[in-house]
Amino acid sequence: MMILLTGGAANGKSTFGESLCMRFSGPRFYLAAMRPYGEEGEARVRRHRKLRAGKGFTTIERYTDYASLVLPARGTALLECIANLTANEMFDERGNMHDPVDCVLSGVDALAAQCERLIVITNDVGSDGVPYSTETTAYIEAIGRINAALAARADTVCELVAGIPVVLKGELPQ
Amino acid sequence: MVLILGGVGAGKGAYVRSLGFTDAQLSEDAFDACPVLVHLDRVLRRGEDAPLEALLKKEFVLCAEVGSGVIPLERADRAYREAVGRLCVQLAKEATAVVRVVAGIPVAIKGELPCKSR
Repeated sequence: MMILLTGGAANGKSTFGESLCMRFSGPRFYLAAMRPYGEEGEARVRRHRKLRAGKGFTTIERYTDYASLVLPARGTALLECIANLTANEMFDERGNMHDPVDCVLSGVDALAAQCERLIVITNDVGSDGVPYSTETTAYIEAIGRINAALAARADTVCELVAGIPVVLKGELPQ
Repeated sequence: MVLILGGVGAGKGAYVRSLGFTDAQLSEDAFDACPVLVHLDRVLRRGEDAPLEALLKKEFVLCAEVGSGVIPLERADRAYREAVGRLCVQLAKEATAVVRVVAGIPVAIKGELPCKSR
């Protein structure tokens, strides 16, 4: 089963994703795709670790290539988040650009095959109407295409608005 | 308190006026006696105080959704976006109803759409 959670920044996607994982017994994996840059990145990681503390998650930090990741057991996995994973697959450390779509989707497919339940957090990044550079525009478009492809695969798609889950496809597990 | 969300220009103000509120009942001040606080996002952008307790005394709070873009380059813009989002999560938790206005259409995402009472 796959659940896709989307929404803008600071809308409670992580908190809700974790609460969904807590509805299921068995092993829980938190798959962290964000490379923590600088003090702000580290603060974000600290905040997320605090949210997860005591909830029985095994944290796996993995910034690229989920297609070759082997999970140690079948259970519930929370992947956070597609915007970071897409950036990591798209812009390598030498500054080269790659098309991230196939790579991200095959990574999610590989994860889904290894989980009882996969919860994927993504972001809505295309709704501010601000003009950006060619690279950033390509990044926004890639996330849009990835989100649409993930939503087609997912059993349930849910947008978080001010912490409220608004179901767009399927239904949430009890 | 009813929280009204939606994108910039989506019709939040027109919606609250359609419930019978007049312009004199709308303000951008968390501490005055007006029943409706509009533009909470602008209040926070100006760096003004808008504590949860004061906002909960309002009948309606209107706030633009500002989190649906790429991560802003400026640190202050990032902090602002986080502050708006987190405050709206807290407000939504306490609100009797949350209405999201999409292209002028009010969609209740928590509780029921408020009735026209004025």
